[in-house]
Amino acid sequence: MIESFITSFRLKNTYRVNSIIYSIKQFPIIKRILPNSLYKNKGLKIFANIISILIEILSIFVGKLIYIASMIFAVLSFYETNQTDTFLHIFLFLTLCGGVLNTYMLNPTKDKYYAIVIMNMDARKYGLSNYYYQLLKLVIGFLPFTILFGMITKTPLWIQLALPFFVVAIKLIVMNYSLYDFNKNQKAKNENLPTKFVWSFVAICLLAAYGLPAINITINQTIFLCIFVFTLILGIYSLLKIHNFKDYRKMYKQVLTITNVYAVENNSGTQAMKNTSLKQIELDKNYTSNKSGFAYFHELFVKRHRKILTKAVKKQSIIILAIFIAVVIGINVNVDFKEKTNDILMQYLPYFVFIMYAINRSSSVTQAMFMNCDHSMLTYRIYRTPKVILGLFKERLKTLIIINLLPSTLIGLGLAILLYLSGGTENPLNYMVLFVSIIAMSIFFSVHYLVMYYLLQPYNVNTEMRSSTYKVVQAITYFVCYYMIQIQLPTLSFGITVIAFCIAYSLISLIIAYKYAPKTFKLRV
Amino acid sequence: MKLVVKNLKKNFEKKEVLKDINFEFEKGKIYGLLGRNGAGKTTFFNCLNEDLEIDAGEFYIEDNEKKRKMEAEDIGYVLSTPNVPEFLTAREFLKFFIDINKKRIKDLKTIDEYFDFMKIEQEDRDRLLKDYSHGMKNKMQMLVNIISNPNILLLDEPLTSFDVVVAEEMKQMLREIKKKHIIIFSTHIMELALDLCDEIVILNRGILEEVDKNNLDNEHFKDKIIEALKEQ
Repeated sequence: MIESFITSFRLKNTYRVNSIIYSIKQFPIIKRILPNSLYKNKGLKIFANIISILIEILSIFVGKLIYIASMIFAVLSFYETNQTDTFLHIFLFLTLCGGVLNTYMLNPTKDKYYAIVIMNMDARKYGLSNYYYQLLKLVIGFLPFTILFGMITKTPLWIQLALPFFVVAIKLIVMNYSLYDFNKNQKAKNENLPTKFVWSFVAICLLAAYGLPAINITINQTIFLCIFVFTLILGIYSLLKIHNFKDYRKMYKQVLTITNVYAVENNSGTQAMKNTSLKQIELDKNYTSNKSGFAYFHELFVKRHRKILTKAVKKQSIIILAIFIAVVIGINVNVDFKEKTNDILMQYLPYFVFIMYAINRSSSVTQAMFMNCDHSMLTYRIYRTPKVILGLFKERLKTLIIINLLPSTLIGLGLAILLYLSGGTENPLNYMVLFVSIIAMSIFFSVHYLVMYYLLQPYNVNTEMRSSTYKVVQAITYFVCYYMIQIQLPTLSFGITVIAFCIAYSLISLIIAYKYAPKTFKLRV
Repeated sequence: MKLVVKNLKKNFEKKEVLKDINFEFEKGKIYGLLGRNGAGKTTFFNCLNEDLEIDAGEFYIEDNEKKRKMEAEDIGYVLSTPNVPEFLTAREFLKFFIDINKKRIKDLKTIDEYFDFMKIEQEDRDRLLKDYSHGMKNKMQMLVNIISNPNILLLDEPLTSFDVVVAEEMKQMLREIKKKHIIIFSTHIMELALDLCDEIVILNRGILEEVDKNNLDNEHFKDKIIEALKEQ
């Protein structure tokens, strides 16, 4: 079994190293310098190996630290109950959630797929040895932090030490139940598609974890001790059962299908994404068009993709209206709230850059454009003539702007009205600046995404994203918008700057797109 | 009309995939492009279709001794994996294609006549293309490329996904349209190449060569082709 583990570990490490080298090669400039023979370069291999081991070590600790710190420790101060008991209480119920949601063994990951299906390794040896390794990582990873946070919350030492083993015992019990279930029904469940029963269980546990302490109910150390002893005994029994289980191969055959594996590992790009995009096509053939040429083509595209186009913005609009009404009511009942609203409207316009970024549909629309349309059409040379490319570009730009303008107009008007209702402003120009800057941002994002799509067309024929520049641009867009959250500036000056920037950016990028899109808009090979 | 390729080169990093391609393809002929796995057939097509930038050389059209640049309208490329817009019905796809090619189609027929020509059944014509089978999608891809009537047709393993009956129909159809086109047809199936193509061209070691049939019978010709393919 140890041999089997070492083989599988080396296998995993090999492709992890290769993907590290691959990602190094994705950087725009480095890409040109480094040759393909990179994959056999010894020095680089060692470097990537070190990174790979660092990733492995980090994966043991970092997740657990974040988990305990953010999901348990951070919320403790909200409750008036005893800190030690609350810590224990939340930990226990979250462990139950984690137990049913993640068994490790039944998670259809790529490394299992490679080892068991493609390399034909012994499923039992592979499954068990990696499972034990995961459990070991759990104990090692949890221990420092159960001790650390246990000390802060004044939890007794024996509990600090017991908690990691409690987690492992729960995992074992759930896994044993899964095997039992498989034996009975001969059907393995994909744990990434939890059943309604599992979801209900998780919901109840979450409610118990965070709800009960709010009404002053928590478990105490005695109850934990009982539960712990009970789970430990059941856990050891489960371990024996799991260890002696024979049908791993059969079970893995069911779990490790291509669809399962790729649904988890590769939801960015490739077939899984393509399939989801296809689902967005609406079958209703009653939508027709009286136009001709690319206008006809585009209109049908829009009508058949109402789910991601018009329906999505309608939903957004309803939510915006609801928030608007809620704020109006708030202003009328609470003076404090009224003043704060006024203050926000006069100082926090930069925040809305992020909101406008978040609600803009262009990114997912251009993705659908590629997956369901351009992916196939770009192989036709005639589709790439400047006339067709620019003609369609114009149609698409119109559609994107209009679609995004519906919620944006509501936001713009809403903000202006709220400003008035919350006490108004000395300078009436503020009303207009609020409204126009929101509209300008909306148009800006529509133009930005479409132009980037046409200039960088990031996908290849297998619908994989192949442009690092595109990813970088996306990341920059995100960070700039995110950064804006923290900024407070007077609405008037910031708004005017934003309007000017949006107009200038849109004009310049459209000119560039018109000039270069006929050359750049093609499939990556 | 001729398609002239001169000193075309294409490298991937240090690997020279197309070393020095020199060839003249003439109108009225079907060229069978043979090559071993990884020889660069698809790369060659991608270069002609301007999906890939070439590293050196040129290709152009020679019409009545006059040299001119190859335009987008000159070329149709049928890939081995079918590519059709899945959100349209077959009829809508044809309408769109006819719309944007209107000026160049000489004897425009009705959409149903085109369907008849390609033997696509009445009941399939108004279905969404996403529900078409692999072979049916391929038929559509072939059909629009024929309708748009490009001077040059590049076909990458186009018949492999068809059933035997359809494959036979397609062959017949290619023979019918070849007079007005330059057809370059890549395949791994030797019988198909010998049966359908007027000339056999081999891509080996980055160079394109014609294999002369002379007076050889089919068996000897086959041997000669395999010998040529084996050359390192």
